[in-house]
Amino acid sequence: MGAIKRFFQASYSIPIVLFIWELCAHFRIVSPRILPPLENVFRALVEDFGNGELPFHIAITVERTLAGFVIGSVAGVLVGFILSRVRWVDYLFEPIFFASYAVPKISLFPIFTFMFGIGTPSKVAFAALECLYPMVVATHAASRMIPQQIIWAGENMGMSHRRLLWSVLIPACLPGILNGLRIALPIGLTIVIVTEMIGDTHGVGFYIANYGALFRPERVYAGMICIGALGLIFDRAVLFMSNRITHARG
Amino acid sequence: MSASASFQQRGPVAFLRPLGRCLVPVVLVIVWQALGKSAILPEYLSYPSQIGVAFKELWDQGELLPYTRDTLLRLFGGFFVGSILGVAMGLISGMSRQVNGFLDPLVAFVYPVPKIAFMPIAIMIFGIGSSTQAVIVALSVSFPVFMATQSAVKHIDKHLVWVAENFEAPRSAILFRVILPSVMPGVFAGLRIALALSYISLFAAELVGAHTGLGLLISEGQDADRFDIMLTGVVSYGFLGFISDRILLKIRSRVLKGDQS
Repeated sequence: MGAIKRFFQASYSIPIVLFIWELCAHFRIVSPRILPPLENVFRALVEDFGNGELPFHIAITVERTLAGFVIGSVAGVLVGFILSRVRWVDYLFEPIFFASYAVPKISLFPIFTFMFGIGTPSKVAFAALECLYPMVVATHAASRMIPQQIIWAGENMGMSHRRLLWSVLIPACLPGILNGLRIALPIGLTIVIVTEMIGDTHGVGFYIANYGALFRPERVYAGMICIGALGLIFDRAVLFMSNRITHARG
Repeated sequence: MSASASFQQRGPVAFLRPLGRCLVPVVLVIVWQALGKSAILPEYLSYPSQIGVAFKELWDQGELLPYTRDTLLRLFGGFFVGSILGVAMGLISGMSRQVNGFLDPLVAFVYPVPKIAFMPIAIMIFGIGSSTQAVIVALSVSFPVFMATQSAVKHIDKHLVWVAENFEAPRSAILFRVILPSVMPGVFAGLRIALALSYISLFAAELVGAHTGLGLLISEGQDADRFDIMLTGVVSYGFLGFISDRILLKIRSRVLKGDQS
């Protein structure tokens, strides 16, 4: 009960903003095409949840985001780890990696659609690519920060390379990696939504773009509310998971 | 760090080191060209020399320059407005508990929404044109900059502020000579993320609705099956992104003379 009360005390600004919104819409201070009355947004939300349209699109978006996120972050951790630990790989590939880091990958999207088609695979591949970069950077930084002493200590105790990797290097990088996950997941969601808006017939991004083109702003806002909620849930889930993992590690 | 230093000292080939680091990109371009020439690559991957020809063609027709100019105008206009807004709001919200309490829940909800989702609304307000794209860029830029600035202000060494207050420095002096300099590293970290985000939003905004711009060049090339034109747009976009990141880093090292990280 206390938690709920604290939540409402902490987020008093949301009802205020909604109230101002409703006033603007009600007295036509702002055109209803730009700010539709709240009850219309709410009705659209309930309607499209009821007829299954929104759950359908949300499920597709979530599936793509998670698939891209998992592929991208696993690959990113591997790449970041190898880049920071194997000297010749670092020598050859570090320049090209950090040069391409600044290049807007989104411009490659047309090529991705040719390679993987316009459906789910191209979105997953692209989200994976965009999640890869922050994960590599996070893993790389974390792995470089490992104090040499604990590696020496491990070697002195006669650990095999494998043992060293699993019980020294990876646990030492874990906090940095988990932090990277928290950056990568919203990027993955953004990318999936953006690519859905550019060209697709499924997903929340399409839902928004489509109803925007049909001049149905209440549904555009309904879509945005769903994305905002998704982003919050994703973030809390990653946070919860990483707290659990780091706690278990002590 | 020590590992790479010992690597550097080894042998008389030290001057070849920077050359070796360019090896992979050069080899990649050569392989790309060779595979393209021998028609192993699919048609949609025009190879470098084709892109060069298309680049020259577009340049001579006088199409490339205005498109690039429009894209840059939108990008920097939006980036400028968005980052100033983000820094200002971040400073205010970092310093005042009331403002912070008011904005935090709102930002927490709006932050994960890709700002490109406001595109339909922005089109209704500003019509199809450069201002719509600039607004989308400004929106996408302001949030990460706001978050970075706010958290930098919150993590300021309180002693610095206390010392300034003890010397009875006026509030404006505390703001401009204590707080602002010490949040700069955080602000630049936010700006760099924002720059990457702004390219994503701008690209999508240009694909969805624009009369000019490199994004349009890409989609036109795609529609007309002129893959060399499409890739010219792709390469130019990548090049612009790379250059603007470098410029930002240059500005950063100018502003943060003392900061070595």
